[in-house]
Amino acid sequence: MIGAVWLRAPARARLHALRELYRRFFGENTPDARGRRLLAEWLSPAQRAQFEQHRYFDVIGCDTGRTYRIHYGTAANVHEIDDDGRAMMGWCFVPSGFLVPGDVMLAQKIALETSETAALALANRFPPATHTEHFYRRPF
Amino acid sequence: MATQIVMDRTGDTRHEFDPDNAEALARAERRFRELTGAGFTAALRTGPGEVTQIRSFDPTAHETLFYPRLVGG
Repeated sequence: MIGAVWLRAPARARLHALRELYRRFFGENTPDARGRRLLAEWLSPAQRAQFEQHRYFDVIGCDTGRTYRIHYGTAANVHEIDDDGRAMMGWCFVPSGFLVPGDVMLAQKIALETSETAALALANRFPPATHTEHFYRRPF
Repeated sequence: MATQIVMDRTGDTRHEFDPDNAEALARAERRFRELTGAGFTAALRTGPGEVTQIRSFDPTAHETLFYPRLVGG
């Protein structure tokens, strides 16, 4: 039945369907997509909702109780924020090696939530205005 | 089945093992030691969005995540 419908479909529609199938299959199996899936699995429901809406999520440092905002990215993507959500200081620390953004963000979340002082001790600080919001809002 | 998830350039690599199988458990413990010895940090999920770091192998852990040593960027 499906085969019969498939054969009757115009060539252009078949080509479109094949392209879409290819895009979905490979799109969802890329390292980037796998990293985002792993990150989503380990975020709290509130962090996940925040990430889906804004492409960043907030974490509370386990030692100081300060709030950090982790943006989608692999470097210079962590900001300490104040109560109004304004960036006060940038902290740059990443897992070594070539990891995708989702993995980097998850490692940063775990580090801040379980060993904040140690993570900040090795981090480089940077002014929070280094990147604009536009920089972090590039498409996945 | 229990899983050890290792972050890498492919996103992650997953090693599944049966914790009731002594041989598989020993292999998982050896992998844990090799990874943490190489500088990886091991973490467990303790609740939705809640994590804890572990420094020794936990044979009861359902899911253990490993990420490489952190460096200043």
